Amino acid sequence: MTSPNGLICFTNCLLPHEDGSLVEQDLWIDERRGTILDAQRTFYLRKERPARIVDLKGNILSPGFIDSQINGAYGFDFSVYEDDDSYRQGMKTVAERIVETGVTSLLPTLITQDKALYPKLLSLLRPFSTPTSATLLGWHAEGPFLNNLKRGAHAPPFLLTAPEGTATFEDVYGEPNLVDNEDWLMSGDGHTAGVRMITAAPEIDGVMNAIAELTKRGIVFSIGHSVCSSETATAAVRHGAAMITHLFNAMPQLHHRDPAIIGLLGASPHLSSPLSPLPPHPPRKSTFVSEPGISRPVHHIPTAILTEAGHSEAFDDTATPPLSPFYFGNSLTSPTSNTQSLSDAVAQLTVADKKGSRSELHLEKGQVADMAFVRPYYGLIVDGIHSHPNSVRLAYSAHPDGCIIITDGNSAMKILDPHLRDGVHEWRDGQRFIKDGYKLYLEGTTTLAGSVVTLDTSIRNFSRFTGCSLGEAIKCATYNPAKCLGIEHKKGTLRPGADADLTVLDRRGIVLSTWVRGKEAWVKGA
Amino acid sequence: MRLIVREDPAAVGDYIANYIAKRINDFVPTADKPFVLGLPTGSSPIPTYKALIKLVKAEKLTFKHVVTFNMDEYVGIPREHPESYHTFMFREFFSHIDIPPSQVNILDGTVEDLVEECNSYEERIKAYGGIDLFLGGIGEDGHIAFNEPGSSLASRTRIKTLAYDTILANARFFKDDVSAVPRMALTVGVATILDSREVIIAVTGLRKALALSKGIEGGVNHLWTFSALQLHPWALIVVDEDATSELRVKTVKYFKSIERVQDEVERNQAQLKANKILLKQMAELE
Repeated sequence: MTSPNGLICFTNCLLPHEDGSLVEQDLWIDERRGTILDAQRTFYLRKERPARIVDLKGNILSPGFIDSQINGAYGFDFSVYEDDDSYRQGMKTVAERIVETGVTSLLPTLITQDKALYPKLLSLLRPFSTPTSATLLGWHAEGPFLNNLKRGAHAPPFLLTAPEGTATFEDVYGEPNLVDNEDWLMSGDGHTAGVRMITAAPEIDGVMNAIAELTKRGIVFSIGHSVCSSETATAAVRHGAAMITHLFNAMPQLHHRDPAIIGLLGASPHLSSPLSPLPPHPPRKSTFVSEPGISRPVHHIPTAILTEAGHSEAFDDTATPPLSPFYFGNSLTSPTSNTQSLSDAVAQLTVADKKGSRSELHLEKGQVADMAFVRPYYGLIVDGIHSHPNSVRLAYSAHPDGCIIITDGNSAMKILDPHLRDGVHEWRDGQRFIKDGYKLYLEGTTTLAGSVVTLDTSIRNFSRFTGCSLGEAIKCATYNPAKCLGIEHKKGTLRPGADADLTVLDRRGIVLSTWVRGKEAWVKGA
Repeated sequence: MRLIVREDPAAVGDYIANYIAKRINDFVPTADKPFVLGLPTGSSPIPTYKALIKLVKAEKLTFKHVVTFNMDEYVGIPREHPESYHTFMFREFFSHIDIPPSQVNILDGTVEDLVEECNSYEERIKAYGGIDLFLGGIGEDGHIAFNEPGSSLASRTRIKTLAYDTILANARFFKDDVSAVPRMALTVGVATILDSREVIIAVTGLRKALALSKGIEGGVNHLWTFSALQLHPWALIVVDEDATSELRVKTVKYFKSIERVQDEVERNQAQLKANKILLKQMAELE
């Protein structure tokens, strides 16, 4: 059913606002242009009002959900290439079916590949959508610049270092796939490079030096599969890293003396202040050792891990980091050649950031002193397995505006077609995985390999785990990811001018229908 | 003048909404002969708007053939400003009913030639054959629209400078920044309101009690511009109990008795009419 004048009014509904509140309000859209309207301007200036009124009976009208980390779904794996046609078909299948989970935009995520495959896959993974499908926003490359110690389900032989910095990134992903493209969402000419996000470990040789350039090109640099220390993680953020990949997973656990990556959620203004009694970024020349494919700060790695425990999932950090506090590090140690660049990169920032930070004590209750940098966003898998509900709440309490709910869903999201049975299933590279409820393991291991919960389920879980309202949970799957990707004027919002990608939920968070660019694309039970 | 007393603001809103609905429906407006309605902003009319919206949603009333004229608008703030009367009317009323946007008239305080805007507003009202019913509220100082104390009772639509008190009072809508409050407004005049065929004023709350007393118990006085309605042939004031606090007991009792008598008369009329129809039917049977 279309509207005679192309305008639709949704009424009797709750709209999630960008601050997480749910407000009873109408929403007007233009179904032909597929955009959200400024209702008042449409009324007074265009002198039009919607000819079609949709009564949502008190339900919630949310911006469509955004999944910024999804490896595959409905039996298709973005990381498996057979031929162009079947790959394109797979993209189409995922885009068209995923709307049943309320997702209207997603960032297909490639796990570490054979280097030769990247240019092929990434050139296929351009922004894509059909009139009734979710939008593939481009690609998220998770790897290959990851730390072998936190490789998770990534294949060790394919992990790489980036000795030439940005040039290595261009070499691996293919230069045309990394071009600077600011207005990538407005594409449609088929020439837009689809790079949106890269997950890498900043301690890997050369990675730190590439962050600023990648960020400048509009790519979100996300820290993940890393064992980096607090200072390296902080330096990465100062260079532009804006995200943490699946927080708590594939990274050192929170240690109070070296809170490392997770500690970024609580980044202290004290330590970013130029007047801090502790040097904010000590020009410490860390001792690194070089081993094939990996470089890492030795003194931060518990020996248990150094012996290669095999499956270094989140549960294995039992040893205490030996150095505390890390700010009084061994600054006189000579660097080894391949880590010179990292230390330099950290040192450069020491000078550059000594401005604009309010360092003195202040008297306004509720105000927090200025930070020299913005804390990064962080992805959370909210299946109750990858992160304990307490951990989810802890992270959200520390940094609510940075929270992004992701599925990290993989091809096993055949369950998204929610009938995937428990048991052994074929996966990629001849590996197999075992589904056990919401858990997914590599066969023969205890390594978790992505989750099998859909984003709408994750949102409901999130609201239960943290105790926050449904509106605040929705924000973590709409506005927050959009803002992280720099597309909050188009996606993840109900602002006038944004795409009319909408998800209707009942008050228990169950998806009832999904609209893409002004058209109803899926209805529950239809 | 009639005065109707109701328990609380919601009951006042219901009464006025039903009254307006009856007027519009009895009028049987068409595209060629629309019903012309004057509308106010402020807190007093909100219950009325809510009740009217309910009637529209229940399909007991439609604004398809209703033309509206608003009383006033600030000068110097954009129409999209959250405190503009364009925004108020859209948020509280127009977005929820079925009125075609082309039939909505609000003074535009953003135009260069404000005098011309005011004059053409009067012309537009005239072109529609005048206003059938003007709904209004009053201020604590007895102002009607932006016709503040001392306004000419013969005034037409024009630019008005806001009283200092009004600016201070409105600062709360502009983040307590007095300098952000508009200094001028465009408003219909007292005579513009008096020209309409019928006027209904909603007055609710203790703070309006003195103004109500001055307006209906005192004489016609430009310091309480609302009192000019005493000269109108068909004015209806609907108030809640709180607003009657400054009135004499005698005044309240008098108007309450009038309402009772009026009800009685209407009932009898209806009965007579019914009887007449019955008699006529019986005559036809014979």
